[in-house]
Amino acid sequence: MAGRLLSMRALPLRVSFQKASMSDMRSIIGNREIVGFGYNGQPNYADRPDFPLPAIRWKESTADIQALREKEKGDWRKLSLEEKKALYRASFCQTFSEMKAPTGEWKSVIGCALMLMSLGFWGYYFMKTFVYGPLPESFKEENRSAQLRRIIDLQVNPIQGLGSKWDYEKDEWKK
Amino acid sequence: MALAKTIGTRLLRQFSKTLSSNRSITHRIHDDDLTCRYECFFNREDIDGWDIRQGMNDLLGYEGVPEPSVIIAALHACRRVNDYAMTVRFLEAVKDRCGHKVNEIYPYIVQEIAPTLCELGCDVPETLCYHVPELFLKTVFE
Repeated sequence: MAGRLLSMRALPLRVSFQKASMSDMRSIIGNREIVGFGYNGQPNYADRPDFPLPAIRWKESTADIQALREKEKGDWRKLSLEEKKALYRASFCQTFSEMKAPTGEWKSVIGCALMLMSLGFWGYYFMKTFVYGPLPESFKEENRSAQLRRIIDLQVNPIQGLGSKWDYEKDEWKK
Repeated sequence: MALAKTIGTRLLRQFSKTLSSNRSITHRIHDDDLTCRYECFFNREDIDGWDIRQGMNDLLGYEGVPEPSVIIAALHACRRVNDYAMTVRFLEAVKDRCGHKVNEIYPYIVQEIAPTLCELGCDVPETLCYHVPELFLKTVFE
């Protein structure tokens, strides 16, 4: 596994019109130390829970960070808490808990969705008031009961449907 | 109709496979041959930061928590390359790997690696107060 990794590193980065060349990447990342493969082989930084160790350090190497690195070579118990935190933040942007902290975005999503729904309801009310014509005569209560009487007289769906619920001897609904 | 049925059965099989594989693999501490391989990898004397990061990213890509012996080997490897931040990140990632069984698995892991932490001077993320968010990152959209 290690041998395969070594040979991957020995391959030069091919310059193609699709991939960023090393000089382009250098101008993007500046002075940052390239420390690993990362998640796709490019020297980029991303806080990802599935690839915890990115390819480059987060901060560029400055004099004070270099001083901390010298101290890092000695006993870690001699580092103060601030120095340890500074070392962490020099290599990484966000901690895991910051990465995975809830953003509350769901509230804005639900809010926007409900607002759009209300626009839809307003649109329907507008159409009903100004655009749609009146309902036809057959919607009136007396027309509908006459239609129902006719359906019953025609014995529509006498086995399992409406006709089966009507008692034809007593001329009323079945109890 | 037949096409929909085949798609349906295929989806169902995949869904049940992920369910069953989740039940058997997730949150199970690794089996021995994986553990041995990674331990030998991290215990190499001449390992460098690149290989450690590659190994850690691969190890944490599995659907399970690494064994304490592997964690200890990785921490020693970090010490050899003098990278303190990597130890904290690795332990954070191990805790994250525990999934929703953190309260069962993580204390056990910490208990197992406590001697190594003392010996090397490493810290768990809780010591640095990194178990709760410390800083806030503004989104790039603002």
